[in-house]
Amino acid sequence: MMTQIVFYVFATVLVLSAGMVVSARNPVHSVLFLILAFFNAAGLFLVAGAEFLAMILVIVYVGAVAVLFLFVVMMLDVRFAQMREGLQRYAPFGAAVGLVLLAELALAFSHWQVAADIASVPHVVAAPGRTNTAALGDVLYTHYVFLFEACGLVLLVAMIGAIVLTLRERPMGRRQNIDRQHERTAADTLAMMTVPLGQGVAANGGFRRPEQSYYIASVPGSYGVTAEPVPQGKPAGAAPADGAPESGHGADNHGGLAQ
Amino acid sequence: MTGGLGSIGIGPYLTVSAILLVLGVFGIFLNRKNVIIILMSIELILLSANLNFVAFSSALGDLSGQVFTLFVLTIAAAESAIGLAIVTVYFRNRGSIEVEDITMMKG
Amino acid sequence: MNWTLALPEIVLALCGLAILVFGVVQKKGQPFLSCSMLTIGAFVLTAFLVVVSPDGTGYNHIFVNDSFARFMKLLSLAGGALATMLTVGYARELKVERFEFPVLLLFSTLGTMMMASSGNLMTLFIGLELSSLAIYILCAFARDDVRGAEAGLKYFVLGSLASGLLLYGSALVYGFAGTMEYGAIQTALSATSAVPMGLMIGIVFMLAGLTFKLSAVPFHMWTPDVYQGAPTPVTAFMAGAPKIAAFALLLRVMAGPFGHVAPQWQILIEAISIVSMLFGSLAAIPQTDIKRLMAYSSIGHMGYALMGLSAGTEEGMRGTLVYLTTYLLMNVGAFAVIIAMRRKGRAVTGIADLAGLGRTDPGLATAMAIFMFSMAGAPPLAGFFGKLMVFYAAINAHLFGLAAVGVVSSVIGAYYYVRIIKVMFFDEAAAPLDRRPLSLSFVSVGMGIATAGFLIVLGPVSTAAQAAAQALFR
Repeated sequence: MMTQIVFYVFATVLVLSAGMVVSARNPVHSVLFLILAFFNAAGLFLVAGAEFLAMILVIVYVGAVAVLFLFVVMMLDVRFAQMREGLQRYAPFGAAVGLVLLAELALAFSHWQVAADIASVPHVVAAPGRTNTAALGDVLYTHYVFLFEACGLVLLVAMIGAIVLTLRERPMGRRQNIDRQHERTAADTLAMMTVPLGQGVAANGGFRRPEQSYYIASVPGSYGVTAEPVPQGKPAGAAPADGAPESGHGADNHGGLAQ
Repeated sequence: MTGGLGSIGIGPYLTVSAILLVLGVFGIFLNRKNVIIILMSIELILLSANLNFVAFSSALGDLSGQVFTLFVLTIAAAESAIGLAIVTVYFRNRGSIEVEDITMMKG
Repeated sequence: MNWTLALPEIVLALCGLAILVFGVVQKKGQPFLSCSMLTIGAFVLTAFLVVVSPDGTGYNHIFVNDSFARFMKLLSLAGGALATMLTVGYARELKVERFEFPVLLLFSTLGTMMMASSGNLMTLFIGLELSSLAIYILCAFARDDVRGAEAGLKYFVLGSLASGLLLYGSALVYGFAGTMEYGAIQTALSATSAVPMGLMIGIVFMLAGLTFKLSAVPFHMWTPDVYQGAPTPVTAFMAGAPKIAAFALLLRVMAGPFGHVAPQWQILIEAISIVSMLFGSLAAIPQTDIKRLMAYSSIGHMGYALMGLSAGTEEGMRGTLVYLTTYLLMNVGAFAVIIAMRRKGRAVTGIADLAGLGRTDPGLATAMAIFMFSMAGAPPLAGFFGKLMVFYAAINAHLFGLAAVGVVSSVIGAYYYVRIIKVMFFDEAAAPLDRRPLSLSFVSVGMGIATAGFLIVLGPVSTAAQAAAQALFR
């Protein structure tokens, strides 16, 4: 009885929030309803005994996909005022078609039939006493290793795609030169001094700059950094492309940018 | 055919997933304003299939449905990343993501 | 567990990763050309491994390798390699000059190979998605081009919907049979006398998802727009390898697991075939853009190829396989000519822009004429033999109506193919086209020779197709 109540609560909220996803006027509300829908679907997974998938659904969808959606909705500067009409115009027609389709599906599913000899079909079963997560782990890396690796390739393709479609090389914006950043030692940037008590900083030569400036660790041509004299291993052709002035870039001038 | 689903049975699960499917298809075809809502409708369709897989997997006592759901979740995440990247590219070119504007080519 | 069965796929995936790393580390150089060359090399190496790969099932019945899989994989690899070749030397003009392009083509081809070898509904879906996701990106690859972005968006939305329906359908099939393995589904279905409604809905949903990828009517709406908007080498690829792989799935699933319920789906396939053939020929007539024309032509070709499947016999499957081979040859060749259509540095895609090509560039015009005659089904050329075999299979299966519609739509189709030839040879000459890179001449001449001399290789191809069709029914 308790299970049934839980099921119907989750199912009702799931259906209602899915309806709001497609009918909300504000896309931000849609995304939030999508999150609610996924939470409730995770609840249904739990009722069906798929604990691991329920957790993954929350982590992957709410944690990654829905946040990605929110990010894009907010990044694209869409004027929500224009989105007023929503789906009014075709809604009655669509609702009618949807109801008919739904009725047909419900009719077909009301008495679900399985194959006659379903018991003889080779099933993938969990070893007795294994938890759901452990049982999935047992088969995922053995029976299904081929597909597991293929899914890895799908993710790689998605990564390449997202980068290739949206990454733009910007001349502005400071980037680190990782090699040189790693080559830096404490001795390059820090100097230990003993300051006698009672004396001001001025008496010790004032504020001091690092011997070797932080420019060395930035990619040449990135913001505010020009042809800084670089000691070793500077690649050819790394001269600034944006034609920034060669002079007036001493460490003191740009000191404020470091922070 | 109730297996691990206990007193609920397979029917209610199939009904919920059918409603989700219809809502998803409805969202794709009737949304005239915002492409991102269409991407979310696709997520709903995939969720409805996942719900079916999990319910059947539990009812049949067969793990392969759950394994497939795991793969589908992975692929759905990849798909939405690519979809949003394409929407971003489109927005940069056209300055709009209204569905009714996606009609440069016709005929 | 015999993991070496999937050696071609594993090697191709590793090559893809290596090429990706190679491209990333030499970012300062011009990695496009070298990455493309390496990709073509990887395709050739994989094709060799496919040829020598043994028969069998591996990975717990997830992966099947037989002569059918080998046939389809070789066609996909050929499609991938030729599409890569079409970009070489021309990438900057086509706005695709980034090394990720060949890498994505490679991964998409890898997905089509997985589809050809699927022994399980999961492999089917994951292979399909690997191949489709890469193509969505490739469509929008020229990211500053409005049409490219629109093509990518349209293809993505409709393609994801089709994948979703396919997935929902496979969930229902799983719920009926209690397994996702083709062999076990076949056993479960053969023990069932009356097909329950739920299973039937599942099969129809799967069929809808797969025919979308084929761009057969009624799931063809995306084809003209996407073909027109995507960069032309991507269109050439889309018209080749993914369609062949979708056919591989369709043949394998329909002949294998669902073979027992054939009477239920055969009528559907027959209807799709008839409508596709007629729509493809009629809707192509008013077109003025050659890429759109190729889209409608490909819808029609899918109809002819489906004719072999609706016959449901081994002979029909063989006809379909031979048809797909000839389709790949003439299609890639025709797209090579379309890519070569540039005037004053700008791509021109109107049919009128071909005017007088017979005088300004007789070589290219002859090649195009060969492809058009072949697509129309003129006798000594490749397209004729494909059509002949599917018509023959349809008549032997007593599908006279289907064969009659096929003949009628071939005649209608011949009209617009011949119109292009007329424009090229008899119209007032327009300004000559720009000089084209060697790779395009190479592909168009090569495909032209293959199309014209298909009779010489018809024997071996149809023997291989015969073996493949037999493997399907075993």
